[in-house]
Amino acid sequence: MAPDPDAALMVAFQGGDEAAFRALFEKHGRATMAFCQRFVKDAARAEELTQDVFLKLHTGADRYQPSARFTTFLYRIATNHCLNEVRRGEYRARPEIDPDSEDGSPLDPDALAGPAATPEEEARGNALSRDVEAMLSRLPESQRAAFVLARFEGLPYEEIALVLGTTVPSVKSLVHRATVSAARALESWSGEGAEA
Amino acid sequence: MTRREIHVEEELTALLDGALEPARRAEVEAHLAGCAGCRAGRDSLAAALATIGTLPPPAPPLPGFEQRFYARLAREAPRRRSLLERLGARPLRWLVPATGLAAALAVGIWVRQDRQRADLEMARHLDLLENYVEVASLDLVETPEDLDVVVHLDEIREGHP
Repeated sequence: MAPDPDAALMVAFQGGDEAAFRALFEKHGRATMAFCQRFVKDAARAEELTQDVFLKLHTGADRYQPSARFTTFLYRIATNHCLNEVRRGEYRARPEIDPDSEDGSPLDPDALAGPAATPEEEARGNALSRDVEAMLSRLPESQRAAFVLARFEGLPYEEIALVLGTTVPSVKSLVHRATVSAARALESWSGEGAEA
Repeated sequence: MTRREIHVEEELTALLDGALEPARRAEVEAHLAGCAGCRAGRDSLAAALATIGTLPPPAPPLPGFEQRFYARLAREAPRRRSLLERLGARPLRWLVPATGLAAALAVGIWVRQDRQRADLEMARHLDLLENYVEVASLDLVETPEDLDVVVHLDEIREGHP
């Protein structure tokens, strides 16, 4: 296995190098937020979940073993945390505003503009996103986690098995069943998607 | 559908993901060549994957994303580490079966320390109640941030993959 530069940063952090931890956050924080957004719709809540994940990483750094890829460790924490959030529902929904930060204004979802798109493209993307969110919300949580890791994060089955603490055949089955559900739920999009 | 076809159907997603061993892939493809039903199933899955591929990316965070995290980290990390070290130094008994006792203690903690309602909501979960019992008995929970550590203790203490 090729050397994992993130593992080296994590080991440096275990040795007390806070800059190494910040480097990890700056490299993976935004991707982690995108991952969390596959589990919660609200961008502000996804950011808070991301902060939670990295706080756990910070607090539990001594549990990390360099034999494991850093991203596998990170995905495992993030997956567990997001699934717990889904189980808990919205009980913690609250704005997380840091009055001491440089940007302490409340998060405004309307201000989270994506890349420029025509109104038609934006409407289509929003409608598809809603259908995918609805489909994901109906999946059993192990299928949902495996599906998100496979489809949106692009992880190979072997790594998903490590993240979820299961076997590759089990991951294969979870991803397949979730994909069958997706095919049923998104059937009306197929012709349109082929034309797009 | 024969038993063999069912087995092939179960592997169609792995086929599309390129996750089959070469020998198995050849077997599945040979089956597909002669089975219109499985080909239709494969095409349906492929269409779904293509549709998902057109999803817009999630919204990016607002400016100040890193600064907001570092500010929270500065506030909470020392307290979390301190609490975890104190918990780690004690003999812990995490599995307490007495739900009623747990609930009573959780409510007691809440009343005594004037916690926010959200914290009481958290205590509805039995696993959290068990943690509350243990931590309350050790008199270690003092702030909402402590509660957050307790709530997620199993994840924080979780071993590496």
